Formats: sequence, structure tokens, C-alpha cells
Amino acid sequence: MMVKFVFAILWLVMQPWLVHAQPKGETGVRGEIVGQGGLKFPIAVSPLKNLGTGADAARLSEGIADTIVYDLDLSGWFKVVDRAAYIENPQKSGVTLGSFDFKDWSTIGAEGLVKGGFTIQGDDVAVELRLFDVFQSKERVGKRYVGRVKDYRRIAHKFADEIINQFTGVPGIFNTRIAYVSTSGGRFKEIHVAHLDGSEKFQLTSNRTINLSPSWTSDGKSVLYTSYKDRNSSLYLFELYSGKEVKFAPRNGRYLGGKISPDGQFIAATVETGGNSNIILLDRNGNLIRSLTENAGIEVSPSWSPDGRQLAFVSDRTGSPQVYVLDVASQKARRITYSGNYNTSPEWSPRGDRIAYTGRVGSRFAIFTISVDGGEPRKLTAESADSEDPTWSPDGRFIAFSSNRAGKYHLYLMQANGENQRRLTGSGGDDTKPSWSPRLE
Amino acid sequence: MAAMYKMVWCGVMTIFIFAGLGCAPSASKPDPSVASSAPAKPPEKRPGEGQRSATKESTQEGSSLDQLREGKPPVSGPLKDVFFGFDRYDLEAEARSTLKANADWLKKNPAARIEIEGHCDERGTNEYNLALGAKRAQAAKDYLVTLGIATERLSTISYGEEIPVCKEQNESCWRQNRRARFVIIPSRPAS
Repeated sequence: MMVKFVFAILWLVMQPWLVHAQPKGETGVRGEIVGQGGLKFPIAVSPLKNLGTGADAARLSEGIADTIVYDLDLSGWFKVVDRAAYIENPQKSGVTLGSFDFKDWSTIGAEGLVKGGFTIQGDDVAVELRLFDVFQSKERVGKRYVGRVKDYRRIAHKFADEIINQFTGVPGIFNTRIAYVSTSGGRFKEIHVAHLDGSEKFQLTSNRTINLSPSWTSDGKSVLYTSYKDRNSSLYLFELYSGKEVKFAPRNGRYLGGKISPDGQFIAATVETGGNSNIILLDRNGNLIRSLTENAGIEVSPSWSPDGRQLAFVSDRTGSPQVYVLDVASQKARRITYSGNYNTSPEWSPRGDRIAYTGRVGSRFAIFTISVDGGEPRKLTAESADSEDPTWSPDGRFIAFSSNRAGKYHLYLMQANGENQRRLTGSGGDDTKPSWSPRLE
Repeated sequence: MAAMYKMVWCGVMTIFIFAGLGCAPSASKPDPSVASSAPAKPPEKRPGEGQRSATKESTQEGSSLDQLREGKPPVSGPLKDVFFGFDRYDLEAEARSTLKANADWLKKNPAARIEIEGHCDERGTNEYNLALGAKRAQAAKDYLVTLGIATERLSTISYGEEIPVCKEQNESCWRQNRRARFVIIPSRPAS
């Protein structure tokens, strides 16, 4: 803890602006911004300046700033200085280095500062955003974005991701979506999709039956889910942009769930025949390649390792559901979890090193992570309520999950170490089974 | 009509599969036969039948999915539900006695075909519960077969935790949801 503490201090104070510390695409992360107690990095996000004459400017000026504030706050790594304390008038002061006074920001305790401006033309908007180091009176990064006015939140999410990149060497995960199951429309379970901040929410299914277990393809373009819309549970692959859908149904039995492989070429599916559930390997068109497990029990919930060579899954072959890891080529399985008598819904971290799962503690359910080599699990949620269905952010630094801690089931977010737990959804129904998309374009 | 045909087809397919597998009794849980006498999780007292609406024999109950679609509360037919322990699919003594009564009804109504639905309580993981529900439906089916009911008359489906009959978060409610339900399949109308 002490080492981590010192490292965080060093990271934040001595060299907080290490730009592009490592090439993108590497899985390792150079630094964590450890957000504990007073260690959160104080940052101010000014409302944007209207650089043009377009109407509807107030919505964008505050809307983009609000979205960045929401994201930075959600990360748990920043303390965003309250807007009420801001001294300068954002519509009168400049947005580039030298055109405003850093003292206006250091005075109110901000060490980082986000400023920007926008120009509306019809339905389009050009947005420029900059991150400044208040301590050193320097600009650290500037970005210009062009898009539809109605998509302004995406621009804000992208810049929030860039801010995280400036601090950690790995972009943030705010330009992503979550697919989940909701009963908000009534008694049916339908698949919904929304950004983390709840924006751009839409209903992917509306067949008035039961739709379950959404998961994304690694290109973020399609969602695989289980549905009873044709009476028997089957798998459906829905392409978001075209609305095209492909159905997969086994020759014998039923599909209970499935996941597309990281390279998009295979589907690991759970098939039930004669009361027994097993995991099978399909090609992208749903043709059987081979069985991966062959047991007279329950074998469910496959989750691919990032390299696509292994699968985490659940088996009750010892009498209680436990998490196993299976080598796809050799089909050899090894047991990972040994604590507790109910460990289900494994999700392999995009970093590859840990597996998140749901475990029963007493009469409650909690989220755990465990090394892919086994060992001591780490419990991340309290058992004062039930928490289930973990899903990793694409950078492996966050976990979203569902919990009934506020009565009904809602979606929550936390850092991968369990800190900074925040509620994401508040629909009138139960929101469960989140699946986090890859980063979007 | 198409849906009905599909249901029958599904039953036929299920029978086909079971014929191939020889209907081995499911026993992957340790010692299911003694589970009721020495259970890790003692069987709870079964909730009062008053919780379930009194049955009129003439009522045509539909599948739980149909009833969900139509927004109707679940209607029981002449065949009684069978209940299970948490994360269990072995048959307790009371479940076996209920199944004997259900078998008697099936013997008296030799034309009736039934679909056995496996259900779970809301706790735990949806996909695991789909598999667990399938085990429960199969356990009920296997026992009916040992009691002399032709396997061709019995098909199974699992709804996991997705269609609970009781929505409160307490053990009495969860107990009602961990069930195998028996739905009489309407005979195919002559066309």
C-alpha cells in the first residue's frame, strides 16, 4: 500500500504529464491513478466557449463539460472542482494557452484544467478541447473533433478517454456502451444498450418474451444474445448498424448461452440436451466444430481468454458450481476456484491476468476476481446485498455488475480493485447481466 | 398453429435424443438418493398451497412463457408442482410423492402428453440457472419414466430463473420458484 501510495504521489505530482508513455495496444498499464481519500487529482472542467454564432449553444457549452465531468468523476481518479467556484467567465476568456490566466484556476485548487470551444454549423459541430497543467502553466494535449451536434456526448467521451491516456498511458473507456437485460418495459426481459452515462439508450429487442446474456463481438458491431422469442432458447447475433440478425439453433437440444471468440471466427456455446449442459465450439456460421466438454452435469458460461486459446467456464462436476479454465486445443480443464460452494459467471479480464466471477457468501452473492492460475480470490463487493454478473471494461481497469443494494437490480461500476462503486442505471425495472462493449470508433 | 406444431416437433426431437441416450438417470450430484435424509441444505417446509390458486380441472393451463406473454398469472392444472432445494436437482421425499400422484393422473389419462418446465429462484447466474432448470425438469421426467410413464409423453424445457411465480426476496418465495411445473400439451387439432 505504501509503495502504491508513493508511486501515486510520484505519478501525480512529479511527473503527471507523461505523454504517450507506451505504445497503444500493449496490455500492461504503466501507472494507476490511485484514487483514495485525498489522493484524487483535482481538475477543473470549464464550460466550453461558443466560438461561432450558432444557436443551442448553452446546451453544448455545459453539455460537453458535464459529460467530461461525469466521466472523470466516474473513473474515481479525479476530484472535479465544483463549477460554482470557477472565477473566469468561459464565454469571455480564451481557450488557448496565453489567452487566460492560470491563477484563476490555481486559486481554486485545480491542478489540471480542461477548456474548449465549439462552432455549430447546421447539424454539425466542430469542437476543440485542451488539457492544461495548471502547475506548470502548460498545454498538455489538444484535440479537434467534428461531428453531429446530437453526438456531442461522444466527443466529450473521446476527450475524457484522452485525458485518462495522458495520465496513465492507456486511454479511458468512456466511449463505450453497455448491453444489458432490463425489465423496465414491464414484465418482459429485453436487451437494452446505453453509454455508461445512460445516454443514447435504445432497446435492442422488443419481442415481449425473455432475452438474456448479451455479449459483444470484438469489433463492437454486433451483440450475441439468448432469446425465447421462438419458444425454445436459441442464440441470435444482431448487427447494430444494419439491424440484420442471424439465429443459431442446435440440431439437438437448445442453446443456453454463447460468446464470440476474440478473433470473431468462433462461438463457444452452451448446449443443453437431455438435461445435460455442455460447451461446444461452433464456427461463425453456427456449424458444430467439436464438443469442448462432455459431462453428464452442468457445464455453462464460457468466457474467452484475450488470446482466444482458453475458456473460463462453470462446471458442477465436483457437486457444486466452480470456475474452470479449459485449453481449447487440448480440451484439458483445470479448476480455478476452491473457496465456497457456488462460483459462477466467469469473465476473463481483457488484460488476461484475472477472472471475475459471482460467488455465494452465506446467503448472498458477491463479485470476486481470481488469478487465472488460481490462488486466493479477492472479494470486491459487500454481502449486505447481492452483486452478480461482472463484466470488464475493455482496458481491464473497471468492472460493471448488477446489484440489488438499492432494492431492485441496477447496474453499478467499480474499479477492478473494488473501489469507487457507483450506480449507473435507475430504470423502474430490474437491470441485470451487463456486457461492456469494446472501445467504439 | 405454427407454434403448436413446433412444440410437438420439439417433443418428438426430445424423445429422439432420449432414446439415443438411453435415458440414464441423472446422478452427477453426490448421493442424490440420500439427499433428503441428510441434506446439506435442509428442505424447507413447503409453502402453503393457499399461495397457489385453487385449481379447476377444466382450466387449460398454458406454458409459463405463454402466460407471461399474455400477462396471466400462472394457472395450475391437475398436475402438481415439484419443489427443489437451492442449487439442487435431486428429488426430495415430498417431490417423489408428488410425482407419484402426477404419474397416477397420467396413467388415468393415457392420451395426455406433458411438457415439464424446470424453474429456479432468482438468485445466482441466469445461464447456470437455465442449466439447473433443465436438470430439474429432467429429474422429474426420469422419475415419471421409472414410474411407468412412456418417455414419448414427456418433454422438457427450462426457463431458469426467468419466470418466477413469486417475486418477493425471501426463502418462502424462492422455494416456490424452485420448481418443476407440468403443462398438458394441447393435442394437435385436426386440420
